[in-house]
Order: sequence, then C-alpha cells, then structure tokens
Amino acid sequence: MITDFLKDRFNQNPEKIAFIWNDNYFSFQWLLDSIENYKKEIIGNFDFNGKVISLEGQYSPHSVAMLLALIELNAIIAPITTQIESKLKEYHEISETEFIISMNLDKYEIIKTGNIAKNELITELRNLNNPGLLLFSSGTAGTIKAALHDFSKLFIKYHTPGKDFITLAFMLFDHIGGVDTLFYSISNASTVVNIDNRSPESICKAIEKYKIQVLPTTPTFLNLLIYSEEYKKYDLSSLKYITYGTEPMPESTLKKCLEIFNDVKFLQKYGTTEVGTLRSKSESQESLWVKIGGEGYQTRIIDGLLQIKAESAMMGYLNAPQPFTEDGWFITGDSVEVNGEYYRILGRKSELINVGGEKVYPAEVENSILEIDNISDVTVFGEKNPLMGNIVCAAITLIDKEIDQKEFIKTIKKQLAIKLEPYKIPVKIKIIDEVQYTERFKKGRKAI
Amino acid sequence: MANKEELYEIIYEALEDINSTLPKNKQIKNDPSEILFGSEGKLDSLGLVNLIVQLENLIDDKYDKSITIADEKAMSEHRSPFRSIDSLAEYAVTLLNTED
Repeated sequence: MITDFLKDRFNQNPEKIAFIWNDNYFSFQWLLDSIENYKKEIIGNFDFNGKVISLEGQYSPHSVAMLLALIELNAIIAPITTQIESKLKEYHEISETEFIISMNLDKYEIIKTGNIAKNELITELRNLNNPGLLLFSSGTAGTIKAALHDFSKLFIKYHTPGKDFITLAFMLFDHIGGVDTLFYSISNASTVVNIDNRSPESICKAIEKYKIQVLPTTPTFLNLLIYSEEYKKYDLSSLKYITYGTEPMPESTLKKCLEIFNDVKFLQKYGTTEVGTLRSKSESQESLWVKIGGEGYQTRIIDGLLQIKAESAMMGYLNAPQPFTEDGWFITGDSVEVNGEYYRILGRKSELINVGGEKVYPAEVENSILEIDNISDVTVFGEKNPLMGNIVCAAITLIDKEIDQKEFIKTIKKQLAIKLEPYKIPVKIKIIDEVQYTERFKKGRKAI
Repeated sequence: MANKEELYEIIYEALEDINSTLPKNKQIKNDPSEILFGSEGKLDSLGLVNLIVQLENLIDDKYDKSITIADEKAMSEHRSPFRSIDSLAEYAVTLLNTED
C-alpha cells in the first residue's frame, strides 16, 4: 500500500509523540490505531475508492488520522479548514465533491452530496488507481484554482529519510507548505505541534513550552514577530531552524532576524501549490540568493521567469488552463535574477508595476522602505495613472504614531531618493493602522 | 470660489518639495510664466506626476475638495494644462469651481 513506508516508521516508533494539540499528546501508536478504526467504520458503509471527498474541520490529529485512512481507501481528498460558507460552497462546486466528512474532534459526520465528479483529471487519476490530494489556491486575480496531486508522486520524496525535529505546523494541511511539514515530520517519526491561534504570542509560547526546533513561516509573520517583541518574553532557545518562503524576504527583515535569533539557522524554501516544496540552499545565512532543486526537481529560466520540472508536480488544475509548457515544465510566474547556480526571487511577474515602461518589483521598494526607522510594515502596489500608465504607491504602518506624519512622509521620500531610481519611489504614501497580511501570512497587495 | 492667485500660492508650496529633488539648474521659480512640462519644461513626466499628486493633496487640505487633475480630460485638452504654472493654476481653478 502507498502508505506502507509511513506505517513502517510509525510501527518502529509507537511510543513517540506524533502530535501535540491543545496540550494533549498523541503517539504514533494512537495514530496507527485511529487510522485502522476510521477505516473499519467507513468500509462497512461506504466505498470511497476514487471518490472526491471534502475533509473539513480543524487541523487536528484526528483529521490527520482521517486523511491517512482516506488515502488508504484510495480516495481523492480535499482537506479544508475554512469555515466560511461561501468559500466551502465554491470549493465543493469546483471539485465536484461527492462526500463531505465533517470532523469534530474524534467524531465525524459523512454527508453524501449527490454530485458525481466527471472532471477529466479526476477520471485520469481514477484510471491510475491512485489516491489524490486537492489543494485550493487563490490566484493573484482572486479566482480560486484547484490543484490535483497524485499521492503516489507526492510521497516519493518522503521515502528519503530526513532529520528528526519537533516542528510547528504553521501552515495548515490545506496548504502545500502544511502538507510538506506534515509528511516530512511523520515520515521521520517526528513530532508536529498544532496550534489554533497563530499570533506571535501564542507561537512564542508554544515554542517555549514544547521546545519546538523548527518554525516554518513567512517573511510577513517574521516581521510581525519582530515588531510585536513577543520573542523577548519567552525562552526560544530550543529553535534550531526557521524556514521561510511563499513570498520574497525583505533584506532588512532577514537582517533583524539574524540579530535577534543569532543561534538559529535561516533557510529559504521555495514552494508552490503546483509542484510542492523544493529543497533549497541559501548561499549564506544573510543571503537571499538560493540554489533550489533537490532530488526530483530541475529548474530553468525562460524570459527571466522561473520554470520547474518536478516528478511530484500536480496532475493539473481542475478548473483553469494548465500552467505547463509543452515539454512539461511548470511556469511559476516568478521573476528571478541568476548568478551562476544561485537564484534570487524578485517576485510575481503579475505584481510588477509598469511605470512608464520601467519595471518596479514591489518587494524591492518594500525592502528599502523597511530599512527606514519607525516603520513596522509596508505594502507597495501600483495605481493607474494617465501620465505614466501606473505609479508606485505605498501603505505603511508606523511603530510610533505620535509624529508629524506629513514631515515623516517627506523624510521617507528623501531617504529613498538615495537608494532607488526616481521611478521606484512611491508617489503616494499612505499611513494606515490596519494589519497588512492575509490569513496565510502573506502580503495582501490587492487588499489595500 | 477659488481664484488663480490662491492656486499660484498652493503650486509654489507644492514646488518646494519638488525643487528639493531637482538639480540646481532645473529649479522652478515662483513665477506664473515658468514652463513646467513639454519643450523647455523643467519637469520630466515623473516630476510632473509628483507635482500633481502633491497639488491634489494640498487642494484637498485647503478646500476640503478632492479633485483629479491628471485624467483623460486633462490629457485631451487642446492646450496642455501642464505647460506652465499659469495654465496649471487656471485648470485647477476650473476644476475646483465646477466639480462638486
């Protein structure tokens, strides 16, 4: 069975802790037992072979056990943690969900929707007789895309043994980063700590309490962590690695992180819903240049954009044009700079601001703005302008708000003039109070 | 009703910031006949965009009215409103006195 390699590891380590959740500990033996129980209960009543199943509820150990049981039953599973009705409805429609399993701690309810999934890719996967994973991502245009993965391919890289660390589940199991953390950890019989609240405070508390060694996160969260100063209140000495990805890292944020966490190794990851998370190696700790790839992955640059060929790539989108070249390379849409074997990720080409023909990457401008004192966060975006096509705008959040804001905006522009070409300097700078990130701790450039 | 004299003053104020970013030989004088944009103009398009955004902000502060100076209408005027300080003031006055 496709999960045999995982269960071998669980069986070798029955006493070890697989999950810590809500202050409760769940061993690998518990996980093995739960998978078997769920399977037995389901087999008597349903045939889930090749069925599209929406697995809904909290990211709990019970949900993970159910996920693994469903994989063994050869189902096509969409793990979903959102509770927003309108989103759920959309997910069900896109994926042609046939059954909904709604988890409530160890209890669950199965609802038959009456749908019959007829999507071509679903049929293809059924013919291969493999279990599948459906992940939803919201593209930059705001439309939801459903990516279908074949578990037999997705699992390949977890056959190679890795390191045993206690890891925080920062991303949930409905996100490729969360899926990667989960399977990497359990395939090494390591502990995953799930928490319900992902504020800097509760994350720092969990690191101290459970002696978490790996924190996979995003630059946006790290920035939030720095300015919350919560890290000062807790003992975070157990941390060995902080990995970050999903968006470009501002140099200034990385620099501050290295000062604060001087015993921690920072690793940049490159992951997408479509091809999974690539192993990567930074040129050095303080460098944003990385070598990405690893077993099963090849990369190339075409027209300044990164393309990836991956054994474990998704089969395709259920509801959008396929993002692959004819020879099977995934077109990431990320612009990169190249220096020998190393790449520097500049950002999404779709976020590029065209100012009178000159290209501006929001990340570069954000980076320069964050180097100025008294700024805790910034989002740079474009605004249509009849003279230049587009102009650069910035929304900033201040640390000390009791200052002459007009004068401060002038100061920002003056300081930027030293570092940036004139067309990159924001014409409009707005000071805002609100937080500037999405539920997945990425910058929400469309939100402002 | 806004008048041109008031607008000159506001433009001069907006120009203070712009001048601080311009080289010495391109400084714009406080004089209605100063050429801003076009042939012999001292501003490039980016400079002009900055001046206009600055001007819109100052007008908003002073008259509590939000106007858009650079739009399709301005671009299609027979005589460019951005040619000189005088033409810019005149155009802004028209907008201020007609727009609600």
